[in-house]
Amino acid sequence: MKASSRPSLAPGVRIRKEGDGVAFLLIPEGVVELGDTALAIVELVNGERSVDEIVLVLADRYEGPDEGLGADVRAFVAAFTERGYFA
Amino acid sequence: MIGVPRPLSLLCEITYRCNLQCPYCYNPLNLAAYRTELDLARWLGAVDEAAEMGVLQLHLSGGEPTLRSEDCVAIVERASSRGLYTNLITQGTFLDDALLDRFAGGGLAHVQISIQGPDAPLADRIAGARVHDRKMLAIKRVLARGDMAFTLNFVLHRENHDRLADVISLAESLGVKRLELANAQFYGWALKNRAWLMPTREQVRDAARIVAGSQERLRGSMAIEYVLPDYFGEYPKPCMHGWGNAFLTIAPDGTVYPCPAAASITTLSFENVRDRGLREIWEDSEAFTAYRGTGWMREPCRSCDRKDIDFGGCRCQAFALLGDAALTDPACVKSPRHDVMRAAVDEPAPAEMVPRRISASVSAADGG
Repeated sequence: MKASSRPSLAPGVRIRKEGDGVAFLLIPEGVVELGDTALAIVELVNGERSVDEIVLVLADRYEGPDEGLGADVRAFVAAFTERGYFA
Repeated sequence: MIGVPRPLSLLCEITYRCNLQCPYCYNPLNLAAYRTELDLARWLGAVDEAAEMGVLQLHLSGGEPTLRSEDCVAIVERASSRGLYTNLITQGTFLDDALLDRFAGGGLAHVQISIQGPDAPLADRIAGARVHDRKMLAIKRVLARGDMAFTLNFVLHRENHDRLADVISLAESLGVKRLELANAQFYGWALKNRAWLMPTREQVRDAARIVAGSQERLRGSMAIEYVLPDYFGEYPKPCMHGWGNAFLTIAPDGTVYPCPAAASITTLSFENVRDRGLREIWEDSEAFTAYRGTGWMREPCRSCDRKDIDFGGCRCQAFALLGDAALTDPACVKSPRHDVMRAAVDEPAPAEMVPRRISASVSAADGG
């Protein structure tokens, strides 16, 4: 996953937030439950932000750069891209 | 209500009319009994109720749902606006750009189009209509747009099993990302045509090798889902992930079923959204509570360590083949009646099949 790539939700993938804080990614094959961090990343993926910019937004939100944050986000985006959730 | 699971998926069979006559259709034989279809207002009411109940996915099917294309678009719009994932299951013969535009505008997330073979001579013979070329155009239109997910579906049976590799090649050349290769499930018209449709052991063996090889070769570019042939395995499919556990189906006339084949279980009575709310039907109707959970099970299911894996298999199959929906699905090796599956595989194939037709459905339902 390149830091400069700009992921977007793949066609036919939707975010679904429940009233009680639970969130799902709705995909053709079914439903994937999203934890808080996963939801935060998925909601920032819009085809315009680069992976680096997503990391910056999250670092800002969670106050302060974290050594591991960038690697974690890149790994997450790579995994969701491989599964076809991100394009 | 405590103890009643949340339904995740609603299948709306909005009409049983269809311009194709595929002999593997799982719709009921007595299609003519469903001619009085719910109107749009009733369908929208059902969608609203389903949304309140927490349903996450709405599947539009039939018959051919796009024979009611305007109603389909309206249902998709409503479901999308309520946060449901929407899926259109179609054979594609009416999917032109104008209709696709309307579906896209309504928020349609996913389209599944089925083909009957890799080329027109075979596909049109199975479908009983010259439609293959039109379906291919529809598939190309959906793929060219790229604004909704797409799955190509191919139902396998004896007459087309040998063309499996050709269908995979076709999907590759089209740029399909999801391919569902589903062995025919023997319900409704497919059960009536079972002996004609049943693949040979050799075909099933070859298919397993071809599919595994293709899945490996196409990893990352095409996901291939293979629905195993029920009659050849050791254990039954985890049908509907349990009866009344996650799925509900509304038939064209408004009758609510735990699965699309359940109407065949004549010992149960099913309720209708014209008479009672969807939530009440889900929570406490006789039909939905009959086989919910594991309390209804007898041996060998009751003490089986797989009972929470496959839920005793399929109630409809137990009823169709053994006459009692509470028995273990005979697809399971532990069923004392597993022999009926072997016998069905060995049954000689008749020369002719019975095409799925509404006009023929009265005599077909009578066993004619």
